[in-house]
Amino acid sequence: MNSSRRDFLKAGLVIASGLTGGLGRALAADSTPKPPRPVLVAVREGSRSAMLDRALAELGGIGAFVRPGQTVVIKPNIGWDVPPERGANTHPELVARLAILCREAGAKSVSIFDHTCDQWQRCYATSGMEQAAKDSGATLVTGDDEDMYREVAIPRGVSLRSAKVHRLVLDSDVYLNVPVLKHHSGSLMTGAMKNLMGVVWDRRIYHSTDLHQCIADFCTVRPPTLNIMDAFHPMVRNGPRGRAEADVVELRSLLASTDIVAIDAAASRMLGHDPGAIRHIPLAAALGVGVMDLEAVDIRRHKLT
Amino acid sequence: MRRLLRPLRRTLGLACLAALTAAFVDFRGLVPAQLSHWLAAIQFAPALRSAGAGLAAATVLLLIVGATLAFGRVYCSTLCPLGLLQDVMARLAAWVRPRPRPLRFVPGNRWVRYGVLAAVVVGIAGGAGAVVFTWTDPYSHFGRIATGLFRPLLVAANNGLVPASQHFDASWLYRVPFRWPAPAVALPALTLLVLLAVLVAWRERIFCNTLCPVGTMLGLFARHAAFQITLAPEACTKCAACLKACKAQCIDLRRGRVDASRCVGCFNCIAACPEQGLAYACVWTLPAVAPDPDTCPSAPVADPTRRALLAGLAAMAVTPVLAAGEPRRRRGNPAPDESPRGPAVPPGAGSTRHFLSRCTACQLCVSACPTQVLQPAGLEHGFAALAKPLLDFEHAFCNYDCHRCGEVCPTGAIAPLSTAEKRLTSVGVARFEPSRCVVETNGTDCAACSEHCPTKAVFTEPHRNNLRLPRVDEELCIGCGACEYACPVRPVRAITVSPRAVHTRAKPPTDAVPATPPVKGDFPF
Repeated sequence: MNSSRRDFLKAGLVIASGLTGGLGRALAADSTPKPPRPVLVAVREGSRSAMLDRALAELGGIGAFVRPGQTVVIKPNIGWDVPPERGANTHPELVARLAILCREAGAKSVSIFDHTCDQWQRCYATSGMEQAAKDSGATLVTGDDEDMYREVAIPRGVSLRSAKVHRLVLDSDVYLNVPVLKHHSGSLMTGAMKNLMGVVWDRRIYHSTDLHQCIADFCTVRPPTLNIMDAFHPMVRNGPRGRAEADVVELRSLLASTDIVAIDAAASRMLGHDPGAIRHIPLAAALGVGVMDLEAVDIRRHKLT
Repeated sequence: MRRLLRPLRRTLGLACLAALTAAFVDFRGLVPAQLSHWLAAIQFAPALRSAGAGLAAATVLLLIVGATLAFGRVYCSTLCPLGLLQDVMARLAAWVRPRPRPLRFVPGNRWVRYGVLAAVVVGIAGGAGAVVFTWTDPYSHFGRIATGLFRPLLVAANNGLVPASQHFDASWLYRVPFRWPAPAVALPALTLLVLLAVLVAWRERIFCNTLCPVGTMLGLFARHAAFQITLAPEACTKCAACLKACKAQCIDLRRGRVDASRCVGCFNCIAACPEQGLAYACVWTLPAVAPDPDTCPSAPVADPTRRALLAGLAAMAVTPVLAAGEPRRRRGNPAPDESPRGPAVPPGAGSTRHFLSRCTACQLCVSACPTQVLQPAGLEHGFAALAKPLLDFEHAFCNYDCHRCGEVCPTGAIAPLSTAEKRLTSVGVARFEPSRCVVETNGTDCAACSEHCPTKAVFTEPHRNNLRLPRVDEELCIGCGACEYACPVRPVRAITVSPRAVHTRAKPPTDAVPATPPVKGDFPF
């Protein structure tokens, strides 16, 4: 037993030493590290579906993210028991369109869930998500069952060192984060990173530890395959639940990016903030989750007519 | 016709029991609130409890009494869930251990029957109606049995099936948070269920025709019912087949009579008689007994049975009046708005005082509450109000747009409110203690309370070091408990709801001015 392990290690060392030469040279050739410029697509003035189609076309189509036979989980914001026009939840039209595209791309299954704040059945029904799932052939799954969550270590986390995460997020091949852009009374803004609080079981630990740091820490667990932000009519006050339809402004916008920090940085600008003012954005950038400096982002702007 | 009686009774009874059981064990909100309400509102005691306050309840009461005067105690075999439950128990017992029924006719025990009824009437007249109704109403007993015992079993069974169902991708089956039933509900319910099991095994419906005050009261009318079960002496061979079938032991074969005040109208005897010697026929020979005492010609000789009927009517007539008036304020009692503070009671209750006096702790609202913020009290409301609901913000909060509790309540303890009214009904007010808040103690942002607040009574203001500290606008607060529920501080939360003994109307949130876009330009980046 011992000898075989020693042999194995020896063999490993030999291979490794052989490799490092090549690898070292390869790295040296690229020694002035140009971080890859993340792509951010910003679309305006279209229907939610049209803007989604345009954004995906810019990113290489849905086929660039969903391959036949893969399992997909869509994580919209369905936190509140309010109708779509209030802007507290991701709009069901956007989610339905995305689910249909995933199915057309050959996805084996498309699941939708959120760990809601209000009572979950009421949230799913009132938000229109139940109907959206039915119309698009997606499966709406409860986020209110602790047995569906598994403990995950977060080695890169500063404040949040572990969390119980919904198994759909851990097990699905494709993980699509579809937040809605809103004002938030605690974190000033809720966007893509904050939306991921809805995939963990215990949110209280975020609030009682360090909300912004925990939001940033969690992004190191599994970055979403793609982030698509519904900014059609962002709620700009009384967030995140809102009080009335008068709380939203119609911007008719949609953002999409694989970089969760870049998309939140752009979104914060839309709400009139400097990205640095939303503390979890610089904290996540510092953890290397994504790019906060929008100058370093390949932003593709489209205005549909 | 005689052949149809028993199937008709069985169909109605089974439908009623199944529907009411479903209303109480429904952990997925599948039973429509209006159906739940009406299944409960057509029960005798809830109707009697609220007859003084509502036309619908008074109508229900008149219909039940009218039906009893016409057909006998059919209520006990078609509508009363506790009676029907005993029928099911007898069925199960016969299935497990078949044995012949007692053949004996047992004369009614007048002392026990009328003693219990008199005690109930005296209790209500003495101002203890809130307690008496709660612990003598068969419907409320059933509610506690179904909610306290059946429902947890069903939830556990559901949760047990969930892992297996996932192999079949059955997302329609999902886990429901299991809660151990509150002892204040489950222990009395279990005690009664065991007692019923013993009584059913001993003498089947003896609870209904001897102990139950509703049964005794209806019996006062039933003994004068137009349609009664009659024995044809010429056909009777004294084979006693009817006695074997009788669950009320009320067929006096020797005298050829059926005690209609104890007969629960199951019609088993009619079906059992091989000679077809039993009939269900009109026994009224006008003008001997008139259906309506008001139009009844005054009898020349005092008839003891008619006296009983009048006594029943009188007792029933004063009950709602007494019930509506109580609890009577004793000398030195504080004014209602200064009454001692208990836990919060649901919106629509008006005040804790009104709520506790009307509620019979049937648990229908507790079952119907989608967030389960409504929970039966232990001793929080006091011993006299054991098992009556309270708002428990420890594990849940009251949904802003929901008023299912008021929709289902059969006694008017929780009045139905429109969604608009519900949103402005303040059952308590949030109190914020900054010294406990994580924003102060940790120096980090939180705002879980304000995040959950539906009216923005809890909002945040800029605080030191770029933080945001919660504040409460008490005029906007409706006491829904979302802030208290969400607050992460333990053991004592930084924001808690202080209940109002008398509910008030909150200030409507004003959002007349539309929000404006924060930045100009198509792409501010």
